[in-house]
Amino acid sequence: MSTMDLDQYKKAWDNQPDTAEKLSALEIYKLTQSKSSSIVKWIFIIGLLEFAFWLGINYVVTKAGGFEPYEQLNLMNFINYTTYLHYAVIVLFLLLFYRNYSSISAIDNTKTLMRKILKTRKTVKWYVYYNIISVIILSIILIILIINKPDGLSLLTGLESAELSSGKMIAIFIIIQVLTVGIMVLILWLIYYLLYGLLLKKLNKNYKELNKLEKINE
Amino acid sequence: MDKKTEESFLLDFEKNQNIVHKVCRIYTTSQDAHKDLFQEITIQVWKNYEKFRGDSKFSTWMYRVALNTAISLYRKSTRTVKTQDISDVAFKIKSDDYDDTEERQLKALYKAIYHLNDIDKALIFLYLENKPYKEISETLGISEVNARVKMNRAKDKLKKILNP
Repeated sequence: MSTMDLDQYKKAWDNQPDTAEKLSALEIYKLTQSKSSSIVKWIFIIGLLEFAFWLGINYVVTKAGGFEPYEQLNLMNFINYTTYLHYAVIVLFLLLFYRNYSSISAIDNTKTLMRKILKTRKTVKWYVYYNIISVIILSIILIILIINKPDGLSLLTGLESAELSSGKMIAIFIIIQVLTVGIMVLILWLIYYLLYGLLLKKLNKNYKELNKLEKINE
Repeated sequence: MDKKTEESFLLDFEKNQNIVHKVCRIYTTSQDAHKDLFQEITIQVWKNYEKFRGDSKFSTWMYRVALNTAISLYRKSTRTVKTQDISDVAFKIKSDDYDDTEERQLKALYKAIYHLNDIDKALIFLYLENKPYKEISETLGISEVNARVKMNRAKDKLKKILNP
């Protein structure tokens, strides 16, 4: 087919009449007052929910007395300091998240806009990674500290030391810890995959498409 | 936003709304989705209007916001995508004194564009709207050379769809 033919279609395009559904100024004004349901807004809402979710977990664990055994093991100082550090990191993440979010603007060029949206989502992703990794690292440190303390395990589990004397119990304890963290990570991964995967499927595809040639030619 | 800016927004938008309708026609296939996208674009133009300083034409600026919304910001309505709807819904165009052949061609063109991916749609749309490559590359944020290469590919795809 020759380009001539595309030119013909273009002529039809040029000559197309205005829409029959013209909106009046009043109708347009009404539209401006309605709520946006853009991806950016959803990313912001989901992001805030995630921050709240992890803070909530922390709060529940503290309130439920999850730290009591550690108190008896004199590990509270360690727990407290890491908690302060944890909050400082969260504030940092929140600041980054907000800065990225507020830099998103529909008047950027398409590529920049997409990059900024994905960056905002990435901040939250790193926040999630940070939480998961810090849970794992803290668990490992605590396991080591507890095992190395005389009576550590019996204080934590409420069982007699005699029953815990063997290395078998220590192994079971470690396996339970690893399994708990593993299952938690799996569930979280699934939730995030569903939330962001579906939300950003179109955007990711378009970003790749737009970048396809750039990478080859750069 | 003060009263005066509000008024000039409404005036600018009303005058140029045809651009938005065309973008909606290209990126959606049902009337509901068309309305949804139109609403989102209106909100985005409104939200950013104060940042529009008139260093470019309002219409140029509007192309960018409308395409950005369609490509990146808008969450596809779950109510969409029934290909057979296209011919009925997407063409609420005044059809008096409009040439029959051209009308057929226009419908075929819209139908063909629908089969392109989001980025190719934007390229073809800007080509049909007579935008120079400089503006196309600035709107999409890619180099002018790449805009040309991509455009040729998009045109080839479109031709193949129009004339398999």
